[in-house]
Amino acid sequence: MSPVADNGKYALRLRGLVKRFGGVEALSGATLEVERGTVHGLIGQNGAGKSTLIKILAGLYQPDEGSIEINDISHRRLSAHEVEKLGIHFIHQDRLLVPSFTVGESLFLGREPRLAGLPFLDRRTIRKRAEEILDKYFKLKLPANVLISELTAAQKQIVQITRALLDKPSILVFDEPTAALVRREADILFDLIRRLRADGITIIYISHYLNEIEALCDRATILRNGKDVATIDPRATPASKIASLMVARDIEEMFPKISVTIGEPVLTAKALSKAGKFQNVSLDIRQGEIVGLTGLLGSGAKDLVRVLFGLEAADTGEITIEGEKGRPRSPVAAVAKRLALVPEDRRGDGVALGLSVAENITLASLKRFTGFGFLKRDEEHTEVDRLIEQLAIKTNGRFAPARTLSGGNQQKVALAKWLSRKSTLYILDEPTVGVDIGSKVEIYNLIGKLAERGAGILILSSDLPELIGITDRILVLYRGAVVREFQSSEATPDEVLAEATGALIQHYGEQRHVS
Amino acid sequence: MSADIDTLSDFSSGNDGARRFARWLAGFALHGGSILAFAALLIFFSITAPFFFTLGNIGNVLGQSAILGVLAIGLTIVIIGGGANVVKGGIDLSLAANLGLSAAVYATLVSTGHGDGVAIAGALLTGGLIGLVNAIAIVIFGIVPLLATLAVMNVVAGLELVLTQNTVVSAASDFLSVLSNYGPFDIPVLAYVLIIFTIIAAGIVQYTPLGLRLYAVGAFPEAARAAGLPVKRIVASSYIASGLCGGLSGILSVSYLSGSTTGAGEMLLPVVVTALLSVVFSRRLVPTIGGTLLSTLLVGFLTNGFQLLNISSTLVSGIQGILILLVVAATSLQRGKGVA
Repeated sequence: MSPVADNGKYALRLRGLVKRFGGVEALSGATLEVERGTVHGLIGQNGAGKSTLIKILAGLYQPDEGSIEINDISHRRLSAHEVEKLGIHFIHQDRLLVPSFTVGESLFLGREPRLAGLPFLDRRTIRKRAEEILDKYFKLKLPANVLISELTAAQKQIVQITRALLDKPSILVFDEPTAALVRREADILFDLIRRLRADGITIIYISHYLNEIEALCDRATILRNGKDVATIDPRATPASKIASLMVARDIEEMFPKISVTIGEPVLTAKALSKAGKFQNVSLDIRQGEIVGLTGLLGSGAKDLVRVLFGLEAADTGEITIEGEKGRPRSPVAAVAKRLALVPEDRRGDGVALGLSVAENITLASLKRFTGFGFLKRDEEHTEVDRLIEQLAIKTNGRFAPARTLSGGNQQKVALAKWLSRKSTLYILDEPTVGVDIGSKVEIYNLIGKLAERGAGILILSSDLPELIGITDRILVLYRGAVVREFQSSEATPDEVLAEATGALIQHYGEQRHVS
Repeated sequence: MSADIDTLSDFSSGNDGARRFARWLAGFALHGGSILAFAALLIFFSITAPFFFTLGNIGNVLGQSAILGVLAIGLTIVIIGGGANVVKGGIDLSLAANLGLSAAVYATLVSTGHGDGVAIAGALLTGGLIGLVNAIAIVIFGIVPLLATLAVMNVVAGLELVLTQNTVVSAASDFLSVLSNYGPFDIPVLAYVLIIFTIIAAGIVQYTPLGLRLYAVGAFPEAARAAGLPVKRIVASSYIASGLCGGLSGILSVSYLSGSTTGAGEMLLPVVVTALLSVVFSRRLVPTIGGTLLSTLLVGFLTNGFQLLNISSTLVSGIQGILILLVVAATSLQRGKGVA
């Protein structure tokens, strides 16, 4: 191919990028070539190097090796400012908007219209233009003086995209844009991205949701361990192929199921009710049994878990834990009864970023490693190394500060912290949310081992294939009542979802309705 | 594969709405409650102290509050640009000491025969330099503002002692007597100074792009950085602006007291109260210059009312301490709900 014919084909070519942090190689020769005017997916597990690659493109990191070519012009290094001037804009996962600002202020921050000839803000123009632009791009009627803190996640995202569009970008990078969106909102976003592509904007779309990549992208590059393993047409490539490229592992191994003999009941709840949350819920969890719990937001599933762990009080009903009657009155009491709760928001309150991986992991179970008031370091470190290996936490040793780990690995550290505490019942709230496929498998393996050891496990999850894959039984809550119990081996995601959304209610008659 | 199931669509609004309502209510109670309390205070004093609600008295309060007001506006700028986090956010504890040193510089220059122009430049330069040292410590060395300005406060207070030998330096000049005199309507010139200064500061902070950027940097530095703003430069400028406010208040204090005196450090608590109180006078519960003027007046009226009622003024500083606790507790409660 002659270089002339090649000219203009690629909006962006990053070739052979290498980036090292201390001893860890985050990128080891990754290449990303994006054709002009296409939507290009970038997929990979957590820690595969996606964010490092994107930060290099954003000018936040300088690569140790490799070449950068944007619109056929090579750049030896990029600064954040240059990147913006080249027309590359980023829609971040975290919505970078000031909560106390109005929509208009947020859109024009940094390029504020001024009153003619004066140094003052032209608030009227800000408001008028903001409303016009939102209406033009999104058919969104949003008063421009609404505060950002009053918007939904999707609306915030729209504000952020609009901000980028004001700069007439040539390349837009979406970094996990649907993380905080519900399906309907995501669909709006996808339509918008297609519209932007029709306008000639080149789009890089980062996600670990394969269905999104398939629905949206013309091409996709798969990263694994800091290298690009393939660039494919996602519509012509089966999802299982993509997944195996990502993890280099057979997908059948995804849900390892160890058969465990089920023992005595660990926890039995009878006729628990809490006004406005759930009514007359009974369940029991036995030794070695993995029970799934699912339901929409507002179904009462979260509240039920909070009651079981003593974070909230039930109005009526009784709980028996290991043969002993009595509802846990506080989380402290629940822990004393050897219950463990792994909360959903693990990155928020789960990890002390300044402490080392080892310190984080043993923080909740220091008692186990204490003798005569001193820490028994040897035992502590053996346990930590075991968990690091078991969960495949990618870290530069047990003493590496938690902040140096990637997001998914921080999450595994948080999980390890709760798991290092020996309990008889583990309540796991969305244990794999935001974790990549490879790490999910390690977490599933660990859950299986806990069950094998004789612990009872209650998993609250909205990832239905996962729930079906790893549990023995699934309880579905709908509007505060258990509407169906499945044997996991007989359940399908569609059926479970239908129960959870109440789609089947009319078939069974109105008596199932609990208001 | 982890097919994603949209399980979060239907019932999100009710729960969320209730929480939003609770937050709105907390905010409304804080904002509305404070304005009511302010009004009640004014009404109480006007009934119990006959002279309270006269133009002359109000002018006096304004004049007496000028020094406090200028300092508090300086601190407000720093809080806006540094964020309202009580521990890590923007704060300038060196302001009161800055006032002391700037006043001492001014008084010393005048008393050693220099003109007002030189003395004004000297005081502002002193204030500005103190601000610059704060800015360097915070922006370049990354020291938490609370600690950085605490250290600078002690250095500055020490310098003042060295300069004045811990004595009163009296100063008199034409400019000083104009400042300490009465203007139109028998209202002190200092009151006019405060009002004009507030208008200028409010014009910059509330009505220019620079002000908007200052808010962005303080409220969410990452967002400001993503918007391409020079975050460090803006934070540094806020400390220099605050230092200049310290210098200006030093000049006002020399005119008010006919010289420089020791004990400027006692201004610290009122300044912090006033600036923190500023939030409750804005609908978005953010610090504003106008809000700071109102809280300056609140603190001023409180002190003045107590004097008119012959209540010991030592009580005032106790009340100021309680106000700090109340406002900080209420605002962090209101924010805490948002975080959780």
